[in-house]
Amino acid sequence: MYRYDQFDQRLVDERVAQFRDQVRRRIAGELSDEEFKPLRLMNGVYLQLHSYMLRVAIPYGVLSALQLRKLAHLARTYDRGYGHFTTRQNIQFHWVRLEETPDILAELAEVEMHAIQTSGNSLRNTTADQYAGVAADEIADPRVYAEIIRQWATLHPEFSFLPRKFKIAVTGGARDRAAVKTHDIGLFIRRNAAGELGFEVVVGGGQGRTPFLAKTLRKFLPEADLLSYIEAILRVYNEFGRRDNIYKARIKILVHELGIEKFAELVEAEWAATRAGALRLPEAELARIRAHFASPPYEEIAPPGASLEAERRADPAFARWLRHNTAAHVKPGYAIANISLKATGAVPGDISAGQMEALADLAERLSFGEIRVTHEQNLTLPYVKASELYTLWQALGTLGLATPNIGLASDIIACPGLDFCSLANARSIPIAQRIAERLKDVERQEAIGELRIKISGCINACGHHHVGHIGLLGVDKQGEEFYQMTLGGHAEEDASLGTIIGPAFSSADVVDAVERVVETYLGLRAPGERFIDAYRRVGAQPFKDKLYAAH
Amino acid sequence: MNLEVVTANRLKDGRTVYLGESGWSENLEEARLAGSAAAAQALLALAERSVERNEVVGPYLIEVIEEGGHLVPARRRERIRAEGPTVAAGSGRQSREIV
Repeated sequence: MYRYDQFDQRLVDERVAQFRDQVRRRIAGELSDEEFKPLRLMNGVYLQLHSYMLRVAIPYGVLSALQLRKLAHLARTYDRGYGHFTTRQNIQFHWVRLEETPDILAELAEVEMHAIQTSGNSLRNTTADQYAGVAADEIADPRVYAEIIRQWATLHPEFSFLPRKFKIAVTGGARDRAAVKTHDIGLFIRRNAAGELGFEVVVGGGQGRTPFLAKTLRKFLPEADLLSYIEAILRVYNEFGRRDNIYKARIKILVHELGIEKFAELVEAEWAATRAGALRLPEAELARIRAHFASPPYEEIAPPGASLEAERRADPAFARWLRHNTAAHVKPGYAIANISLKATGAVPGDISAGQMEALADLAERLSFGEIRVTHEQNLTLPYVKASELYTLWQALGTLGLATPNIGLASDIIACPGLDFCSLANARSIPIAQRIAERLKDVERQEAIGELRIKISGCINACGHHHVGHIGLLGVDKQGEEFYQMTLGGHAEEDASLGTIIGPAFSSADVVDAVERVVETYLGLRAPGERFIDAYRRVGAQPFKDKLYAAH
Repeated sequence: MNLEVVTANRLKDGRTVYLGESGWSENLEEARLAGSAAAAQALLALAERSVERNEVVGPYLIEVIEEGGHLVPARRRERIRAEGPTVAAGSGRQSREIV
């Protein structure tokens, strides 16, 4: 994985020192709250309902065992013994004290981490496919480009005061596991007819109050032009994006209002003047970054074949976990192992300090010391020998981390909601827990098949409800929590936005409503047909009929 | 007139606090009550002085009601601020239901 050079380390160390002084001045009264707020936000410090919250960047979701162990230490020392993984592959600590945040940031800097640009109207953490470098369907490793973007975007003076926040995602596989089309800029790694590497660039995606899927801005952008082209997009956005209305400030609104053709004209005009300039990526620099993401020292091993098959046959629970939580690896004899943070009764994305430490140990023993964070609030061990999956599964079981539900009904994305967040209108976590409890029978979940349920506690849509097969949006109706249901959303390469299905359900009724949707689907699906495919075939009406029949 | 108290977050640690007879308290039961618009504004003015002294940030008035002999916030958001999250975060235990 990428290691800081002297410039990275110095920049992060200097930032810690600056923030320490800013916090000191705030507590001493030398800075007003108005003056201090933008400074703390530039360092990932929010003020939530009960406490300050620190959002720590995990660049493109890649963590070393050393870093995970540090996060465990921070959770135990400065928080309440746990952390919360977010839909942007970051981690949040929900109970930090302002006066201790400089110490936390100093400890993070020791392991090449920081909280810069995890808030505010800046270029946020670039996210990527959690299977980067190991996916069997990958064209090229998205981490290379995400890291190049990170270096370019960090403290970029021209783009530190954008009209609104700005999120970029990169994927290198045929399948999109990074919800790329919901981002301000999305990059799909492609090869052109000549076999050269480049990107399909999509722009103007986003969820929130006015959701849009990103539209293709350029079918093929040569690799070397990555930064100059992104710069051109950002310059157009910085100039024409609205600053008068926060609800219309994201690039998605600009792209929608101008139309993609007009937007593309503006970008091309800007780019024509800069394309041959300093941002053109030199091959030597590309090679230097690429070298950081070289494959680990794999062993040349044969697929385990018979032995794994014997373990699978001997233990149906292991077989189930294999079916749902592992994926094909590019290297023969290896597997990708997913760790669900969605055990029944758990808070989606939460992990205790003890679990973090145990996982760091497991990653060192079984996965070359590397862990990935997924936008679905789970973790991935990217380099596990297939012959060691059984050992891993048993160890995960003792930690409460072997729930075999990746992509199933109880693998629910939920934002922190009104239990923590000052923006929320309704709670998300208890709804996720009640749905997971209702559908906890693993055989039933397996029979239902792939089903993505996503819950947001307010219109900002951190819980990705617009792209949930079943999406729930919490709203406040005269002091009561209600949940508006959308159906048919999807976050992958064939993404779609969900459709509001009808009047919202009360908190008491919403779990029944979800179950009714599931039962309706089971009643009408063709053999082997996934929920999303069935919904696309039959449309909303059969679900509406069942949901509102009594009304 | 409904009963109101002033709440804010403490500057140094961000904890939810209420303006009481002797400074800010994490305990809502210790909050000073305002029973009139004038009393509420007077409390808020007092709170603003704490902002100037860098003790708290963002003070505002909330409505409280009596329930089972205890004062509780009228709105759910404020009840969650007063009582903490309704879920046992990080530990995987089942949620506590609140009305």
